[in-house]
Amino acid sequence: MPSDRAGRSSAGAAFSLAEISSKPEALEGIRVIELATRIFGPATSDYLGEFGAEVIKVELPLRGDLMRYVAPEGFYWKEVSPAFLSLNRNKLHVAIDVRLPDGKELFARIAGKSDVLVENLRAGTMDEWGIGYRQLRERNPGLIYAANSGFGQWGPYSRGRASYDATAQAVSGMSAITGFPGHPPVKAGFWVGDYTAALFSAISILAALEARRRTGEGQLIDISQAEAMIRTLDWTWPYAGLTGKDRPRAGNLDPALPPSGIYRCADGYVAISARDEAERAGLLDAMNAASGQAAAAGGDRLSAGLVAAFAASRTQAEILRAAEGSGFSAAPVVGGEDHYRDPHLRARGTVWELDDPLYGRIDEYGPVPKLSESPGRIKWTAKPVGYHNEKVFSGLLGLSREEVQDLERKKVIGKWADAPGARPPVGMER
Amino acid sequence: MSGFDAWAEAATDPGKAAGKPEALAGMRVLEICPGHFGGMVASSILGEFGAEVIKVEPPGGDPARRYAPEGITIEGTGLPFLSEARNRRFATLSLDEDEGREIFRRLARGADVIVTSESVARMDEAGIGHAALSVENPGLIFLALSLYGSFGPCADRPARDSDILCQALSGAPHIIGEPEEGSPPLPHQAPTRLGNWHGWFTQGLWGAFGVLAALRFRAETGKGQFVDVSGAEGLMKFVDYNITWMHTAGKSRRRIGNFDPAVFPYTYIKCRDGHTFMAAYNDEAFESLMTIIGRPELASDPRFSSPAARVRMENEKALQAILEEWSQHLTADEILRAIEEHTSKKSGPGAAVVTGRVNRPLETLAEANWRERECFAGVDDPVYGNLLLAAPPWKMSATPARLKSVCKRPGADNGEIYCGLLGLSAAEVDSLSARGVI
Repeated sequence: MPSDRAGRSSAGAAFSLAEISSKPEALEGIRVIELATRIFGPATSDYLGEFGAEVIKVELPLRGDLMRYVAPEGFYWKEVSPAFLSLNRNKLHVAIDVRLPDGKELFARIAGKSDVLVENLRAGTMDEWGIGYRQLRERNPGLIYAANSGFGQWGPYSRGRASYDATAQAVSGMSAITGFPGHPPVKAGFWVGDYTAALFSAISILAALEARRRTGEGQLIDISQAEAMIRTLDWTWPYAGLTGKDRPRAGNLDPALPPSGIYRCADGYVAISARDEAERAGLLDAMNAASGQAAAAGGDRLSAGLVAAFAASRTQAEILRAAEGSGFSAAPVVGGEDHYRDPHLRARGTVWELDDPLYGRIDEYGPVPKLSESPGRIKWTAKPVGYHNEKVFSGLLGLSREEVQDLERKKVIGKWADAPGARPPVGMER
Repeated sequence: MSGFDAWAEAATDPGKAAGKPEALAGMRVLEICPGHFGGMVASSILGEFGAEVIKVEPPGGDPARRYAPEGITIEGTGLPFLSEARNRRFATLSLDEDEGREIFRRLARGADVIVTSESVARMDEAGIGHAALSVENPGLIFLALSLYGSFGPCADRPARDSDILCQALSGAPHIIGEPEEGSPPLPHQAPTRLGNWHGWFTQGLWGAFGVLAALRFRAETGKGQFVDVSGAEGLMKFVDYNITWMHTAGKSRRRIGNFDPAVFPYTYIKCRDGHTFMAAYNDEAFESLMTIIGRPELASDPRFSSPAARVRMENEKALQAILEEWSQHLTADEILRAIEEHTSKKSGPGAAVVTGRVNRPLETLAEANWRERECFAGVDDPVYGNLLLAAPPWKMSATPARLKSVCKRPGADNGEIYCGLLGLSAAEVDSLSARGVI
């Protein structure tokens, strides 16, 4: 194993996109009930649903999950926000007013038949409503209950404090180490504090399922999004412990692997990476070849300034070719439009081409880990509020048509409000 | 309160973790990820839940030990490595030698999971890839971590995976940071990397997730499998609605500083002692916030009276200025108290006014909340001294994750692994060591 620079791989055959739908799913037979809004909770169960868990998403009748009204530049497509779709695939949408006694009972009956519960309400709210872990485990001791929150279920900050993604970015210290020296801290332009914590939550749910296989017992999982972000800050903490100092903002230079970083080039931006001496030597060779001379001897031959000058006059393609030729690594800085048009991402199902029964063709990001035997998949995208009421209340709980109608009349269950974000596409109402 | 917080604290107290069973006890992970932090993260996560992790380093030590911001090392090992070397045993082995590869195959026979960042093609060529190893161990879960993934048109590109490359391809820096104004733009008006190794981190997290999904499938069927994770795709998954927006509106996300194209206010505002996060984006919450800042009339101002109006860029900028007029005289804590004072009397959408100080790391460390919840661990290691580490973030009632050890020197557990696990004699181990195989 002289080097890990890639050679031709034969792995492709095991991952054929065409065969995914005929393969089994890794989490088949796992039922998840979700009572959550916006991103942290919904993304957690979305990740499980991609791998075959049956996710029942419980929303309040009419308006449903408030994420339905988070629409980029106010834009709705076929009466749904594109920002809502990508968090809620492969789910069954039911609408129950869990604030009413009959609604709580209905919710508890579904939870009684579930393996996993995911919620992201303020700490203690579910318990106050009588449908928290303490109450539900009485009926279902195998229940794995993921309580996703900003600051945890106990401790000084757990009482009454709300949290969004950027609360976690802010209080964890992540934003303070992101951005340029002499400029303000930078908030990520996407909801990284939600998704990262959601992935932590999903991982712990799978670990708890493994434990349950041996013991039959479920458990309470308390996961704080701020604490998840704290866990991701690599050497920030040992550095603070050792030096008593704050790790400074380092702009686009990776201070652990200099001069690796993001550089401006002739047609955009490029990331240049050198993990070890061999790659640093390769980068230096490329810079020398470009300047037509060997660089002056000395300790600063690979300063960020010199790399910046090298990159500035070259295109992304030229720098990538130089990397391949000289033995360092590089990649272009790309955005969503590049992803959308990238054949590599489509060949991997990372940009997933979905044919949805209600909305037709819609492309989304697909599953991240590619599993050869039990691959993840997108089967359908999000649906209007209460879209699957009958399927769940009649199919899963065995309620009669009359019982369902009675619950509707009492407004215990319901469907969508007549508003963009909640309702079906025009002409598609059932 | 219903007393749930006290109950939850007693049930999930991290201080009691050591006496409880572990979720992944009995699972063995081999980590072959020289120079690669994402692989360390994947293995650490499994190790925190109780898997036995054996890190296989090249003789002489993992190149990642030499990653050393500001040149700081302890006993030859930098802080990034020490932050993620927990809960492992440390073996050395040269995979360049036939003898070393044979020993590796023997280790793989007894493993449940292999985590590797080495080239899949080279592993195959050397006879230690998934295809060869799964013949002898059909239940093996083989996790391959790379930049582009191990199949697809770009899979053969000769780039060595690193955090900055994962970030660049993920689409994250493209929408982080200040937009360009003027030409040439100022240096900070550029696509901006997340300051931590979030690309490598999310790659490792997705790797652990994939392994656990595969583990469940194996429990049902007995079959192992190949799990392929691209670090670029791991962080890409988090970049919101890029693809759906492109597909439905032909638009893609741009860089707009601390503003947000879909929700506002959702921003960092200046305050007397730095910056704080401020969000109140649904109508009811926005009305609450305008009352809190003493400008209730703005809730019906046509620039701000609906979510769609508030996310017009000129209105976001106007609102940012209005908020900072108020906040510049207050500390982040005073802002938090003003908001809590108001929202504690509300429930539902009107209470969704959300804040939080933009902490420097030392400010985070100074807050009692995290200490009480044992988010950090000061660990005294016999070799590496006293180190401050982030503890596992989950609090779990039955099988909590835990931090058991910090790090060891390369090959520190060779005897235990090669004699104890594989049954080699002490003389054989000495001989392998003399020949540079271990």
